[in-house]
Amino acid sequence: MRFCKTIWVVVLLLVTGIAWVAADNAYFRPRPVKFTVPAGWPQPVYDFKSNPLTQEGIALGRELFYDGRLSKDGNFSCGSCHQQFGAFDTYDHNLSHGFDNSFTTRNAPGLFNLAWQKEFMWDGGINHLDLQPLAPLTAPNEMAETLENVMAKLKADKKYRAMFKAAFGDETINTQRMNKAISQFVLTLVSSNSKYDKVKRGEASFILPEQLGYDIFKKKCNSCHTEPLFTDFSYRNTGLKADPYLNDVGRMKITGNPADSLKFRVPSLRNVARTFPYGHDGRFFSLSSVFEHYRNGMTVMHNTDSLLQHKLALSNFEIGQLTAFLYTLTDSSFLTNPRFAPPGSENIGKAPVDIHL
Amino acid sequence: MNRFAKYIAFTGCLALLLSFTGKHPQEPHVVTLRFHSVIGNHSLELGRSYVNALGDTIAVQRFKYYVSNIIITDAVGKDVYLFPRRYYLVDAEDSASQSIQLKIPALPLKQVRFTLGVDSIRNVSGVQTGALDPLHGMFWTWNSGYIMAKLEGVSSSAHVPGQRFTYHVGGFKAADNTARVITLDLPPGTAPVDEINIAADINAWFKGGFLLKIGEHPICHSPGGLAVQIADNYKGMFSISSVR
Repeated sequence: MRFCKTIWVVVLLLVTGIAWVAADNAYFRPRPVKFTVPAGWPQPVYDFKSNPLTQEGIALGRELFYDGRLSKDGNFSCGSCHQQFGAFDTYDHNLSHGFDNSFTTRNAPGLFNLAWQKEFMWDGGINHLDLQPLAPLTAPNEMAETLENVMAKLKADKKYRAMFKAAFGDETINTQRMNKAISQFVLTLVSSNSKYDKVKRGEASFILPEQLGYDIFKKKCNSCHTEPLFTDFSYRNTGLKADPYLNDVGRMKITGNPADSLKFRVPSLRNVARTFPYGHDGRFFSLSSVFEHYRNGMTVMHNTDSLLQHKLALSNFEIGQLTAFLYTLTDSSFLTNPRFAPPGSENIGKAPVDIHL
Repeated sequence: MNRFAKYIAFTGCLALLLSFTGKHPQEPHVVTLRFHSVIGNHSLELGRSYVNALGDTIAVQRFKYYVSNIIITDAVGKDVYLFPRRYYLVDAEDSASQSIQLKIPALPLKQVRFTLGVDSIRNVSGVQTGALDPLHGMFWTWNSGYIMAKLEGVSSSAHVPGQRFTYHVGGFKAADNTARVITLDLPPGTAPVDEINIAADINAWFKGGFLLKIGEHPICHSPGGLAVQIADNYKGMFSISSVR
């Protein structure tokens, strides 16, 4: 009998111990965040299974995104060229500023709806969202830092050690974890609440010029700037002559195929009123100059897109209506969402006063 | 003995028992693949000048390459010991990186096969860790993909700044693929193998099916035709120098 009792006590002790350890782990486990696909949108291409969103992972990514120490001189965070009030592009800049008074060679694209995007950069050279931060981090005219130094800075910081542990279970800091955390944050940058979206959801209706513009859009623009993401993610030559100082051949740099010369990714038009200047090198400072390019300015080349071989006929009236429609793609709740702003600061994303039309 | 002491004793025994079950009976036998760099008949010393197979004088400063998916065949040539999804970065500058330990029983072996480079799946699956961590400088950030092998140095034939020739050979897409499967037969024998010494001859980079003249091509930094030609050359750089 005595022996039985002893066994009971030991078993109880064991169970309590195991339960305590298990409960402890569950308590410290990162809290999952569900990624919601807006109604009517395609399924995302990002593999969330390999990098599940968690509150702690997103918080770490946001911290990293806004940390200037990721750059060589401490001045350039991801957020310095990807500003929320510009839909995460560099507001009002054709090219962005980088380390040591340098300029980038291309216009910083807005960052949103990245879960639906397979390839990155204007030339599609980067094949995975997790890899994307490596390019600006190490480019000498951007953040100009080495990955080794970035790792050393992060490892030396107690706060980061705690944040990596909270997000990934232990204090290991490596390139993979850093980039997965940044991916988690930027994946949450979903812009799906513009007036256009509200109209689609039946919560609002277009005024006449917007509706007329939408009808024209569906006829003349939609085949490349395909709804609901307003891009088909293809690479096209839209008759942009190379800037002689940049000599950017575009997609050809990646594929080595002359047929890809001067092809660039079709950019999304969401938040387009905020993402000026336009074009891969930011040569167009206003929407009207983009329209002017399509109807007059284009240099039609042998590999200019078949849809644009005769340029794009647009009347002044059509340009007016299209502009009205494009304005409905501005998602103010995205541009001012405090969850996307620098950690710990009030959102400063108030609309700058000058609007370039 | 009071009751408390008994509990302690019981728990102690239990702990002892558990600790026994966790132990391996014995350490398994290990075969070591040891890579060493040579240039023709000379052992390579970084920074020292040699004349390569095409007569160019070169001083190598950096020489590294990926070794992955190792397969070892048994005495009758069957693929018995497979090490898939294991990646090693062999670096002439780091002697620890030059030996690869594989758990294989003490047996006679016939053939060593491995991929020089990184398979395409790892090139399209985001950021990797360990030997594949992009911080080792073997990853192109602007055109995603691994540099399979890298050879850098100085040569008077290189008419570029610093007279530096730099061959960063990569590319994983079908036509541009620079990963190469290397097959090396061990000398016939019946003795169990402990160590396989593999020589990597830099001369093979320059003189193979393609003649890589530094004066003509001092630089290779992107996937494409030149990279593939160099890859076809370096495919032949390995040989078994000795087996123990």
